[in-house]
Amino acid sequence: MNRTLLIAADSIRALLHKRLLVGLMVASIALTVVVSMMFSTARESMTESFAVQIDDPKSPTAKMTEKEKRQFKESMEEASFGFQMGFYFVASFGGTIVALFIFSTAISSEIRSGTIRVTLAKPVSRTQFLVGKYLGAVAVMAAYTAVASIAMVAFTHTQRIELSPALTYVPWLMFWKHLMLGAVAMLLSLFMHPIVASAITLFTGNGFYSDRNPLYYLLPSYGDFDLYREVFSGTLMDVADVGWLTLYAIDFVVVMLLLALWRLRKKEIV
Amino acid sequence: MAAITTRNLSKTYGGGLRDPGDTVALAGLDLEVHEGEVFGFLGPNGAGKTTTINLLLNFTQPTAGEAFVLDRPVADSQVRSRMGYMPESVNLHDYYRGRKLLEFYAGLAGVAQELRAERIDRLLRLVNLEDAADKRVSKYSKGMAQRMGLAQALLGDPDLLILDEPTASLDPVGRKEFRDILQELKRQGKTVFISSHILSEVESVCDRVAIVQKGVLKRIGTLQELSTGGPTVFRVRTLPAPAIEALATLGAELTIAREGATIRCADEAMAQAVTQLLAQHGGQIVQAESETQSLEQIFLTAIDAKDEARK
Repeated sequence: MNRTLLIAADSIRALLHKRLLVGLMVASIALTVVVSMMFSTARESMTESFAVQIDDPKSPTAKMTEKEKRQFKESMEEASFGFQMGFYFVASFGGTIVALFIFSTAISSEIRSGTIRVTLAKPVSRTQFLVGKYLGAVAVMAAYTAVASIAMVAFTHTQRIELSPALTYVPWLMFWKHLMLGAVAMLLSLFMHPIVASAITLFTGNGFYSDRNPLYYLLPSYGDFDLYREVFSGTLMDVADVGWLTLYAIDFVVVMLLLALWRLRKKEIV
Repeated sequence: MAAITTRNLSKTYGGGLRDPGDTVALAGLDLEVHEGEVFGFLGPNGAGKTTTINLLLNFTQPTAGEAFVLDRPVADSQVRSRMGYMPESVNLHDYYRGRKLLEFYAGLAGVAQELRAERIDRLLRLVNLEDAADKRVSKYSKGMAQRMGLAQALLGDPDLLILDEPTASLDPVGRKEFRDILQELKRQGKTVFISSHILSEVESVCDRVAIVQKGVLKRIGTLQELSTGGPTVFRVRTLPAPAIEALATLGAELTIAREGATIRCADEAMAQAVTQLLAQHGGQIVQAESETQSLEQIFLTAIDAKDEARK
């Protein structure tokens, strides 16, 4: 097998042997499921309450005009939609934490433990090493995204919500957002401790800055990849938008990986 | 063809924000290791041994000078398909079981698929880890990890083997087995570059040695070459009184007995001066012999032992 793929396969094995990471992934998915159940229960109780009020002649709702009833129903649906967005936010944030952990430790843990010395003493170039490590982390992230997406679909079904066409792209864009964050975290982890690298990546990538903040113009934005915001604000994406965003993400990842490679080549393995 | 060549190889650390003072780890090392020899690289702690190995494996870049292995620049990653390396602290990918770990390293080393199983079995036998082949590497003792470190270094059937303190965690039986493996590699014509503190071990297996201190090459040569220029002992039958006074002035060590006198000269220059002096005063030399120095004596003479003791 190609050396890059061997390193990628080893990277998957190494990541899956990190108890903290596996715990984090399980906790993140469990949290998603719990939040899903909580939202589901809250939504059902609101729907039931609405139905009871409509049927009860003594209820204030019964005295509403048809227009008021329609407005009330719309506000109920908006609240339900808010729950839905909240669910996607939890799933996405959990994924971000998992991504930061995976990518920031993929290379730095090998350097810190010294295992990189044995690997690089073999006919393995630093480019092969870096690309292999990134691909391994991408594979683990893909598996995580697949499981989280299944949880989302399950949530959508339990909520008996018709899946919005725009929401179809949520897992795909979430996955690419995490690959972008991961590439930044991997690059920064070659300069500093992985925890610091993750914190900085999180700071630059999760809306801690706005267009009123000068950092907004200097740092990359992942806002367009947070589809729940788009859905919430009523801007639905089409396939072309998703395609352009994917291209942007690929460019971004390639640039970050080239910078990481430049750094790794210069890095002294002592 | 030289297995290893370094020209004015230098490495200075520091100079950054965290460590503004420069530390010279290696200062203009000129070294040539011939193909097929077992070469001992000796020096006290901080002498620059591991830095040299790091440079030979392209783990770090030199501040000045250049290094070649098997006639290729060290930056050429493909040359490492003909090299094996065992680090001082053997940190292996410990989430594998022994055999699987060697399979992974064999893939990286470019060992053909059809050769892998046979080679891994042979190496596991060689380093005496057959029984632990299916045990998780994280459960290995330090000695077992060191044996596994040697096995992975030998996987690619390398022409050049670089071993950094290879027996540090081995017990006496393990060290004996290690020496036997080295002898076998020597018979096969492999070049072995060993950095070690254990002088007796180097003495028993190495064809040539180099001694470094504070990044500077102090001595290099075969053990025989290095032991010449050491103390010379003259036995003389008659020793006139003026000669005794002159010998005392030279600083030679004189022992007078009934059957004659023994004059011990610290180095070759003193031995020449004593020979001239005895010729002048009519002293008759019965026997002259050079004392054979052990590697430890050579080592302690080469380095500034007092300076090392102060560290």
